[in-house]
Amino acid sequence: MNHMEFLTELERLLSGMPEEERQAAVQYYADYLADAGVENEAEALRELGSPEKVAETIKADYYGTEFDETKFDRKNYMEKYGQRSEEQGQKNAADSAGTQTAWEKSRDGVRKDVPGGGTGDGRENNGTKKEPWTNNWLKLLLIVLIVIVAGPVAVGIAGVILGLIITIIAFFACLVITEVVLAISGIIMVFAGFALIVLPPAGMVVMGIGILLFVLGLMAAVGTVKLCMIVFPAVFRGFVDLCRRPFHRKAVS
Amino acid sequence: MVFNTGAALLDAIVLAVVSMEDSGTYGYRITQDVRRVIDVSESTLYPVLRRLQKDECLEVYDRQFDGRNRRYYKVTARGMVQLNLYKSEWKNYIQKINEIFEGGVAV
Repeated sequence: MNHMEFLTELERLLSGMPEEERQAAVQYYADYLADAGVENEAEALRELGSPEKVAETIKADYYGTEFDETKFDRKNYMEKYGQRSEEQGQKNAADSAGTQTAWEKSRDGVRKDVPGGGTGDGRENNGTKKEPWTNNWLKLLLIVLIVIVAGPVAVGIAGVILGLIITIIAFFACLVITEVVLAISGIIMVFAGFALIVLPPAGMVVMGIGILLFVLGLMAAVGTVKLCMIVFPAVFRGFVDLCRRPFHRKAVS
Repeated sequence: MVFNTGAALLDAIVLAVVSMEDSGTYGYRITQDVRRVIDVSESTLYPVLRRLQKDECLEVYDRQFDGRNRRYYKVTARGMVQLNLYKSEWKNYIQKINEIFEGGVAV
């Protein structure tokens, strides 16, 4: 990829942004690559990474700080609300969730260690102590309100999740049982083959099929059990991780 | 480096780097200067510059160079105030950390 391709691709990837932002970003990287010089072009492009990555950084920061700038307290509220609803698996907060992910992404670059950084810091430091939502009583009230509103939904969702888990376990259990039964029927057929020894060809065919069924059933059963041993802990870990994520983030900040 | 560079510190470093040039400096050079001190990827600096520009800590102007326009960055008065604030905060911070590291011995 040469620098022209990089810039074209970047411009295309930023097409969702306001024209001014897009032009500024493309201009910056055009400058950057021109200043790097033709001889360093490959090196500079390699270090910049893919246009996708660069576009992602630009967008994440733009949409993150855009929020900062318009309404600081609103952003903070959205963030809290987003986390709450995420915890309870609620999907109706689609718009706030959207802005939240954008905002979160902005923290994922260099700013991992300072959640809530960015212009937030700047404003606090400037002496304008405007932090409406860090007020403890309001915070508490907000949490109570959210619990009241989201409570019933959370119970429903918990039911669905429990149902799903039981369904998955039952499904695998049925699968294993079926396969064991298959293996057992294989064994029975082998014996039936012995019984049919008076008709040697028929007996042999039946025995052969029996052995085949037995092996197939056994293999499938072992495979399913192995799969369960890998899949279930992974799913469980993933789920716990998902639940823990909002709390963890909060604890850090 | 073992320590992460937070958003505020990165802002401070960029402001400091830009402020070293009275007549302003440009993106590639800022990146090189910052990367001489801390290990950040090239793509992290554009958002920082853009944000500082929007916060009116930096101003930009275009100047002819090599037959093309090059965008220059310069620290504004507001940016200088912010930078000085960062500097005093930093002094405070390292002093406290040092106190802990040196076991309460005044540094």
